[in-house]
Amino acid sequence: MFVMPQIIVENVSKRFRLYQERNMTLKDFFVHRKGHRWEEFWALKDVNLEVERGEMVALLGRNGSGKSTLLKLLTRILYPDFGVTQVKGRVSSLLELGAGFHPEFTGRENIFMNASIFGLTRSEIEERYDEIVKFSELEDFINYPVRSYSSGMYMRLAFSVAISVEPDVLLIDEILAVGDAGFQAKCLERIRSLKRSGKTIVLVTHDTSVVERMCDRALWLNKGRVEALGISREVVSEYLNFVADEEGNRHNEENVKSSTEKEELNQTVEAQMDEKRPEEQRKGNRAVEITKVTIASPEGREQASFRTGAALMIEIHYLAYVETEDPVFGIGIVRSDGVHCYGVNTDIDSMRLPDLQAGQRGIVRFIVEKLHLLNGTYRLSVACHSRDGLPYDYHTEMYTFNVDSITRDVGVGRLEHRWVIE
Amino acid sequence: MPILSFFRELYRYREMLKNLINRELRTRYKASVIGFLWTFINPLIMLVVYTTFFSIIARGAAIQPYSIFLFCALLPWIYFQTGVQTSTVSIVGNANLVKKVYFPNELLPLATVMASLVNYLLGLLILIPADFIFGVHLNFSVVFFVPIVIVQSILILGFSYWLSALNVFFRDVEHITGVIFTAWFYITPVMYQMELIPPEYRGLYMLNPMTPITLAYRDIFLYGRIPDLGSLFKVAVGGCILMISGLMAFRKMRKRFAEEL
Repeated sequence: MFVMPQIIVENVSKRFRLYQERNMTLKDFFVHRKGHRWEEFWALKDVNLEVERGEMVALLGRNGSGKSTLLKLLTRILYPDFGVTQVKGRVSSLLELGAGFHPEFTGRENIFMNASIFGLTRSEIEERYDEIVKFSELEDFINYPVRSYSSGMYMRLAFSVAISVEPDVLLIDEILAVGDAGFQAKCLERIRSLKRSGKTIVLVTHDTSVVERMCDRALWLNKGRVEALGISREVVSEYLNFVADEEGNRHNEENVKSSTEKEELNQTVEAQMDEKRPEEQRKGNRAVEITKVTIASPEGREQASFRTGAALMIEIHYLAYVETEDPVFGIGIVRSDGVHCYGVNTDIDSMRLPDLQAGQRGIVRFIVEKLHLLNGTYRLSVACHSRDGLPYDYHTEMYTFNVDSITRDVGVGRLEHRWVIE
Repeated sequence: MPILSFFRELYRYREMLKNLINRELRTRYKASVIGFLWTFINPLIMLVVYTTFFSIIARGAAIQPYSIFLFCALLPWIYFQTGVQTSTVSIVGNANLVKKVYFPNELLPLATVMASLVNYLLGLLILIPADFIFGVHLNFSVVFFVPIVIVQSILILGFSYWLSALNVFFRDVEHITGVIFTAWFYITPVMYQMELIPPEYRGLYMLNPMTPITLAYRDIFLYGRIPDLGSLFKVAVGGCILMISGLMAFRKMRKRFAEEL
């Protein structure tokens, strides 16, 4: 029997107009006739994709490559300028969690409002209500207005509603940025079970390990064009090679740039991190402050992607505000799905650090000769505390790096091994 | 057929429509102490002010009781004005939703108009007892309330679809409507009798769709007589044309909402 694909994207192009002046007024339009001051920008160009029922496809690409635009076309928030998109069945999109939440309304009221936006009827929502609350783990807070929720609680509620719709097609944008590591793992598990039950899923993520483990196929977009479409493992490795090359080029260029420019660049990187990471990921009395953390190659070149087996250096810049005896520095590495991969500190390694004077600055370097982690996105925590555990400054999962592997072994880390065949 | 698929989606998203109306009504008075009671208090205070002013201070208004004369026309005018003006900004005001989730955007103007309608109906709860207090006897002609309010709502929706969509592209629309409504109020017989208009202008005057509607409300709530169905029918036809064209234009422009917001 011939089965029509669940999703068809045929020769789709999407153009955006970047207005120099937003929000034209009628006067501009009629009197000055200046309705034409825009620049064109093709967010997507000649994209083709067919997704079969029950398939899970990842969209890969750097920021601005058109991934999110494609998802928005599939949900019909945007419409293509050329070509056709066709999606069969009920679509639920997890593009922007919590859109339509009203801060003054309670969690319960927002569940009913939000679920109805996804097209559920009253009885359908009532049926799912308990499950939504249970999944969000917000039983105790459900009758409070959501303005009193933390951002993590807010996202948990939003995700729980969105996932409860039981759609035929699920479109997901960067959900791995939701909540804490534990909840992320739970989200992934739910997505996996939806996949098992035959739902069609299109997913945007930067976490290539998720793509490899969960997706059947991947579509790699580069500047709005399809760069590759195929088995996810193959596309991911192509993509990572491309990223690593580009990263390398960028760093070479950066080294040529003047140091002030580099400083600025660092600041923007840090600013982006701050935006993503709430203050709750930082704690401690700041007797010793960790002023800067860089992830770099052992030569000191900052780097965000590493090959399995390559060397890695973490630099922890610190500043002691008061005289401090026996400081301990530590690091921890967690994979994006919440698996704790490694943690160690100077105390565990039986090192005794010299006492710090008030006002003393310095750098602690943690060097890994061979990084045996496999494919994935990892989050780094660094910490400084006293020997009996009093926190001075904790940066919990505030830094991120990627590891990609050219071999195809699976798991968390590569065990040094050999085969003996008799 | 745009109208058919409109009703299909409307039916599927009926829960959302209900919630949007509810949200509209509740947020209007949210965080105020007496909350929803304001819906009643506003028209009540209006009624008291007019009665006091026209029966004590400015006595001798030709029409008696003037407060009912004014009130039964003012309530539907407020429905008309707030209905059109709030729905004009309904797409822009809900940019967060429109840009981020798929749902039939047609619900937004509809929900704001429906919320204004609910407020209007609640205002009637003040008007009807006032009728009794001032000795106006309501009779069977009030059954015409249903067709009149339906015609008026269709008319309002017609304006709403055109203006809410256009306002996404030209933000002046919301300001222009504000100005137009101020003037429009005076060419509608809300505060005065139609007879004040010189006969040679009457034909022109009746082109204002709110004139037959206002007169019809006054017929049933003040004079207790059957309204002029002929002129009402013309408004109904005009309103339907406006609404269907508005809906079609809206659905065409909707495709670019998310980009323009």
